[in-house]
Amino acid sequence: MTHWLVIWIGAFVTLITFSYLVKDNPVYRFVQHAALGVTVGIALVVAWYHVLKPLWWTPVLEAFEGTRAPAAGLWLLALAPGGMWYFQLSRKWFWISTLVSGLFIGTAAGLAFKGMILLILPQVAASIKVVNPWAHADGPGGQALLASLNGLVFTVGLLTTLLYFFFSVRTDNRLLRPPMRVGRVMIMVALGAMFGSTVMTRMAYLLDRLQFLYGTWLAPLFSG
Amino acid sequence: MLSWLGRLGRVDRRWLYLGTVAVLLVPFIVTVPMPPGRASKATRGLYDAVESCPPEKVVLIDSSWDMGSQAENYAQLECVVRHLCDRGVKFVVTSIGVTPLAPSFAEQVITPIAERAGYVYGRDWVNMGYVQAGGGAGVIINGMCKDFHAVRPTDAYGRRVEELPLLGRVRSIDDIHAVYCITYSPTPEWISFVQGQYGTPVAFGCMTIMGPSYFPYLDSGQLCGMLVGNRGAAEYEELVGHPAKGTQLIMAASFGNCMIILAAVLGNLGAWARRRRERRPA
Repeated sequence: MTHWLVIWIGAFVTLITFSYLVKDNPVYRFVQHAALGVTVGIALVVAWYHVLKPLWWTPVLEAFEGTRAPAAGLWLLALAPGGMWYFQLSRKWFWISTLVSGLFIGTAAGLAFKGMILLILPQVAASIKVVNPWAHADGPGGQALLASLNGLVFTVGLLTTLLYFFFSVRTDNRLLRPPMRVGRVMIMVALGAMFGSTVMTRMAYLLDRLQFLYGTWLAPLFSG
Repeated sequence: MLSWLGRLGRVDRRWLYLGTVAVLLVPFIVTVPMPPGRASKATRGLYDAVESCPPEKVVLIDSSWDMGSQAENYAQLECVVRHLCDRGVKFVVTSIGVTPLAPSFAEQVITPIAERAGYVYGRDWVNMGYVQAGGGAGVIINGMCKDFHAVRPTDAYGRRVEELPLLGRVRSIDDIHAVYCITYSPTPEWISFVQGQYGTPVAFGCMTIMGPSYFPYLDSGQLCGMLVGNRGAAEYEELVGHPAKGTQLIMAASFGNCMIILAAVLGNLGAWARRRRERRPA
């Protein structure tokens, strides 16, 4: 059960945030900065209690106390590469930070390369669609026709969109212009779907706050 | 007539805000009966993954959302956790990289449902807390697949994994039946390292705005299912037979959509009328 004071603060902050819709004001800006400050503060506390303390501080401490294998004490050495990051603040010693950042970038790039292969290759394979209704396992029935039509729309969309972004040939070619136009229409349809999704998301944000204001704050007040 | 229509395009935007708020509040005040929606292939995929979970395995939930995306992620977590509890499926929750506030938000949704279902913390479900992903989520996910305990030696409360009976049987990706990642925009590294490398089914719960970006992965079979926004949550609630937050929110959103379509039509009509008037010879 949330404390009544928390609900009132939440309602007050929500209404102040909505006040921006009428006009920008100092109270809104205060709430905006306070929210940012609170988030950063919580992130620091969580970083210590959920990351540094259990994964670094406690193993090192326990290794020195003898309740854990001495090898855990080697985590103390992590201070050196960790501290090297802070040399980014110095112009003279900046190069020290590049040693550790290079290591991180190398590791991340290696994993990203592997990840991209595992992610993209199945996409390429999935781009090859069956457009022949007779090629479907259950024959040229209604479902097979629909699946073939779907495959045809997909293939046309894929090829024309790729053609639209193909800059190695002159685009004023009479043969290329119609499919390129189709590609542009496909892109516009996709962007339209994305814009529709954006509107839905923004509305969900508003709905969440309205549900809080009405259901959690106002309704219990009037129902006693 | 044209001058009256022309005024439509110049309505103060604040009236539109007020109108939208008024329309969206209607379903909260009065119950509006609406026909149930049919679950999409994306929603059904996640439902089937939960249904097919064998008793010796668990479902891993990456709940990486906070107040920034609770408008849609809350209902997406609530409906799936309710389904897991109804089916008696054990689950492990983690929050990788996105926001350190995520574990407390997940707890707020899961605890009441788990308690009602008689789930015992540590035996039936565990909250592993926030996992920092400094070198990218891929490093953490890859590590978790190989050795779960090495990446996260304690739960969200600092208890060691050895003290939690459920984690005794969750050591690597082999013990996980499916992964469900809920956040504003789930990282595709779950697909790369979990589905791509080990073939473990992965499902996403994302904001509506991100839905179109993930449909290709669903089409290629890399994602087994996906809940897109509150619509996905409402569809899932329909499948589980327990209408909750998602259903209520999508009902209100339908009213809002009608209002926006009306506003767009009237606004365009106004712009058309104004142009006609300007072109007309004086």
